[in-house]
Amino acid sequence: MTDRFSRRSFIRLGTTGAIASIAAPMVISSAVRAQNRTLYVNTYGGDLEQGWKKAYCEPFTKQTGINIKTVTPVNFAKLRAQVQTKSFEWDITCMNITELTQAEVDGLTETIDLKIVKDVPKSIIVGNGIGAYNLGTTLVYRKDKFPNGGPQSWADFWDVEKFPGNRCLFNRPFTCLAWALLADGVPKDKLYPMDVDRAFKKMDEIKPHIKVWWTQGSQSQQLIRDGEVDMIGMWSARAANLIEQGVPLEMVWNGAENFTSYWFLPRGTPRAEIAWQFANFAAQAEQQANFTKLLPYGPVNPGALKLVPEARMKLTPSWPANLDVSFEHDAKWLGSRLGGIRERWAQWLAS
Amino acid sequence: MIAWESKAAKPYLLMAPVVAVIAVCFLLPILNVLFLSFTEPTVSLHNYARIFSVPLYLRVLANTFKNAALVTVICLVLAYPLAYTLVRRGPVIAGILLAAVAIPFWTGFLVRTFSWLVIFGAEGPVAGVMRWAGFEPPRMLFTTFAALWGMTHILLPYMVMALYGVMKRINMQQIKAAESLGATPVIAFWRVFVPQSLPGVINGCVLVFTMCLGFYVTPVLLGTPTDMMIAQLIGQQVQELLAWGFAAALSVMLMICTFAILAIYDRFFGLQRLWG
Repeated sequence: MTDRFSRRSFIRLGTTGAIASIAAPMVISSAVRAQNRTLYVNTYGGDLEQGWKKAYCEPFTKQTGINIKTVTPVNFAKLRAQVQTKSFEWDITCMNITELTQAEVDGLTETIDLKIVKDVPKSIIVGNGIGAYNLGTTLVYRKDKFPNGGPQSWADFWDVEKFPGNRCLFNRPFTCLAWALLADGVPKDKLYPMDVDRAFKKMDEIKPHIKVWWTQGSQSQQLIRDGEVDMIGMWSARAANLIEQGVPLEMVWNGAENFTSYWFLPRGTPRAEIAWQFANFAAQAEQQANFTKLLPYGPVNPGALKLVPEARMKLTPSWPANLDVSFEHDAKWLGSRLGGIRERWAQWLAS
Repeated sequence: MIAWESKAAKPYLLMAPVVAVIAVCFLLPILNVLFLSFTEPTVSLHNYARIFSVPLYLRVLANTFKNAALVTVICLVLAYPLAYTLVRRGPVIAGILLAAVAIPFWTGFLVRTFSWLVIFGAEGPVAGVMRWAGFEPPRMLFTTFAALWGMTHILLPYMVMALYGVMKRINMQQIKAAESLGATPVIAFWRVFVPQSLPGVINGCVLVFTMCLGFYVTPVLLGTPTDMMIAQLIGQQVQELLAWGFAAALSVMLMICTFAILAIYDRFFGLQRLWG
């Protein structure tokens, strides 16, 4: 080491440093370009990935010269494995609030660098995560099966006499349990701490009337599009996508589940600097608005709301009237209880 | 020092690459799974105790073996006449039938599973034909029938290939010889052809059965929640609950049960028949 660090190289280094400090901005930006750096972004694949590429990745590369490669799928187990083994397949991911909360509790997130993340409203930063978009899960029914108006609440969904028809729910316990409590008359701000026994009791009522429990987004779309079921609890963006294709569906925002997804980094990734640059870029109003124009997920940056046409905004969970009647989960309360709830759910479902 | 040059050592030397691959890619991960099942999250037998204390897990395990056995029997019943036709008919018909078996085999199994959602759907072609014929179609989707059907469809090519490979080598002149000695065609088939095809039957059954044990997407998409198979619970433990120790214990249980079945089978039929 000392051998190689000769006097000549020392002088050269000093000179370079001097030039760099004079022409710092120019040198750094060209250095970034010259190095041809690559950022690995964890994505969900499908339409969502195409939307991210157009709204976030391509403009980011254009502006910074940093290449982006996408890696699928998003998986919490993978996040943990990466942090534990310190080998990083991706540098930034986007997960919902329950997953972010779990990641924070387990120490799997990189501390946010507010020197880089400086153009983002503080209101959308939670812990080490930066708000990306809102996802809704809503009651959706076929208008052709209910010409005189379909179910308008989860209580109506549970009312099989007034609204006969095939029903379908998302096979995700805490989502269904919250809906069951709403159907049982619990106000949306009193869902937590959750009365799990009461929720399961209410689920017993509807269980014989659920034709199928969906597990994959594309499956939920197929079921309602082909008329296999008449009403369903499904992701709002998937439903909006079908409505745009001309399927006669109505989305009921009353009692919708609202989830915010957050950008965050696996702790220890060597490319944290450019990953935060990317998050800072993607969370700005213009980019979020562009994304919502492509896919009907709800922007979280307040500045984005004005940039999206109203008709489009109304299809998203971020539209104020939709937000008002939606509920959010208490990720902290769920945290350690999730395992037990899932086990009970699986057992309940299989019996 | 020069032992590796001796004649006795040479076959082992040739085996070294494959032994190394199996050790690294197969044995080590399995040992790791075994290790995790006793050590995650703490060193204890807790993970195994949980399998036996929560009724869900044993029931799903039993259901997994029941479904796998049913699918194996259905595959055998469907594949045997097909494979027999393949070896008895001319090359043109055999070629067409083989292609018919192989083409779905090259299609992704998720695509094939989804296609049954359309075919068996409430507005699908099967229901359409039934209505046209004057019947009210029963519910086909989201039943155990649909789950078994979907798995059978995916695994059938394996059974056909296993049977065909063995049947092709059976000398058909022997059947003619039996008939010339007075056997009826049924007796000739039953006493000459069937016994010689048994290695293919056994091979195909073990292949289909063990592959079926690992299924989960198809029964979830086509069946009812009671058709849940153990692989789904294992996947859920790893991906959603991050309970790797418990997932490992479930995997070990699945492996032990599979070995137990193979051991019983070996006791009565002999595993060496697997290799023809």
